[in-house]
Amino acid sequence: MTQTTGGTGPLPRGKHGLPREEVIRSQRERLLTAAAKVCAERGFDATTVASILAEAGVGRESFYELFEDRRACVLEAHRVLLDDLIERVRVAYTGSGEWVERCRATIAALLDWFAADPLAGRFLLVELPAVGPEFHERFEEGFDRFVAVIDSGLDPDLPEPEPLPATSLAVAAAISRVYGEVAAGRTEELPTLVPALTYEVLVPFLGEDAARAAAFVEVPQAG
Amino acid sequence: MEKHSGSGITALRPSSSFVGLRPPSQRRRILDAMIDCCAEKTYPGTTIAELVRRGSVSRTTFYKLFTDKRDCFDAAVTLCIDRLGEALATGASGCDSPAEATRRGIAAGLGLLAAEPRLALLLAGDVLGVDPTQVDRYGQMLGPTLARMWAEAGEPTRRHSSPGLAFGRAQLLVFHEVAAGRAERLPALAPNIVYLAIVPFAGHDEALRQARLAKDDPPVEVPA
Repeated sequence: MTQTTGGTGPLPRGKHGLPREEVIRSQRERLLTAAAKVCAERGFDATTVASILAEAGVGRESFYELFEDRRACVLEAHRVLLDDLIERVRVAYTGSGEWVERCRATIAALLDWFAADPLAGRFLLVELPAVGPEFHERFEEGFDRFVAVIDSGLDPDLPEPEPLPATSLAVAAAISRVYGEVAAGRTEELPTLVPALTYEVLVPFLGEDAARAAAFVEVPQAG
Repeated sequence: MEKHSGSGITALRPSSSFVGLRPPSQRRRILDAMIDCCAEKTYPGTTIAELVRRGSVSRTTFYKLFTDKRDCFDAAVTLCIDRLGEALATGASGCDSPAEATRRGIAAGLGLLAAEPRLALLLAGDVLGVDPTQVDRYGQMLGPTLARMWAEAGEPTRRHSSPGLAFGRAQLLVFHEVAAGRAERLPALAPNIVYLAIVPFAGHDEALRQARLAKDDPPVEVPA
C-alpha cells in the first residue's frame, strides 16, 4: 500500500516535537492505508475499526476524530486511491507525442499502477462492491472521470465512429481487462498486456488494421 | 406489480393471490426476494431474515430449498441468466442473418433489463463483489453461441478483437447506466452493445454498420 502514503510508519511515541497538524495528517494517512490493506486482504466484512486500528497503530479516539465509522474510512481510502490513479493516467495522457502514442503511454501507466500495488488494485476493483449501495455511485463517478480525462485530449483529426461512444468503450476495455487480471491475482503480468489492450482500445476509433499497426509496434525501452 | 387496483384490505395482499395467475413457487418467491434485496441493499446487506419475510416463507422452508445465503444467491444468478438468455433467444428467433439476430436479441435483452434493472444490478454488480468467477459462467454461455452463429453463416474466422473482453465491456456499459439509476435509458445502448457483440466475429466495419442500423431499429416492448 505504498500509493496512499509513500510508506509512512508510526511516529515515535512520546515527545517528538511534531506539530499537531503533522501528527493528524500522519494518522489519517496510516488509517487510510490500513483500511485499504485490511479490506483488500480480508474483505469489507472483516474490516472492523479494531482491525484498522491494529494495522495502522493508531488509537480509537484518533480514529473517531477523523472518521464517522469504518465505512467512511474505507470510502475515503477508495477516493484517495482513485484520485491517485486518475492523476497518473492524466499525466501520462497529456504528455507530448501523437495521440496513439499517448494512448499507449496511458495504458502502460495504468497497468504499471496496478502491477506496482496488487492490494490497492484488489481493494479498488474487487472488494469495494461489498461496502453496499454506495458502490454504485462510486463506480459511475469513477467511470465518468476516466471518460472525461480521455475525451479532453482526443486528437481532433480522429475519424468519428458515430454512433459509438468510443471513449466509453476504451474505458470499459481497460477496466474490464484489469479487473479480470486483478481478480485472478495475475497483477505481475499486467505490464505485458500493453500491446493487446492498446489494440482493443484503438479498434473502435481506427478499425483493426490501423489499430494493429499502432499497438504492436516495437517501442524502444527507455533507460 | 402495478396490478393492484383493489382498495381497502385487498390492496394489502400480494398481487399473485388475486390476479388469477398461478402463484409463484416458494423457491421462486425466495429468489425474487434475493434479487430485489440485492438491488436495494447489495448482497452484503441482504439477510436470510429479510428473504424469508419478503418471500413469505418460513425459515425452515428456506433451509429445505437452499443450504445458505450464498447457495440462494447462486440460484438467483442462474435465474437472472436464464431470463436474460430467454429474452435474447426470443428476440433473435426467426432472424435470417447473424447480424440481424444479434441486433434483435440485444434489443430484447436491453428491453428486459430496462423493465427490470434489478436483474442487471445483480448480474453486473453484485456478482462481481460476491464471486468474480461467476461472471465467466454467462460470459462463456454467450461467446460460443455467437461464435457458432457466425461460423454457421460461413463467416471465416479471423483475428479480430477478443470476445471475452467485448463481453466485459458490454457488462460495464450496462452497469454504468443501472448503477446511476438510469435503467430506462438502456435501450439507447443498443448500438454500442451490438457493436461489441459483432466486432469479435465480423470485424470493425461490419460491427459499425450494424451499430448504425441498431440505432434506427425500433425498441422492443417488454410485457410487464
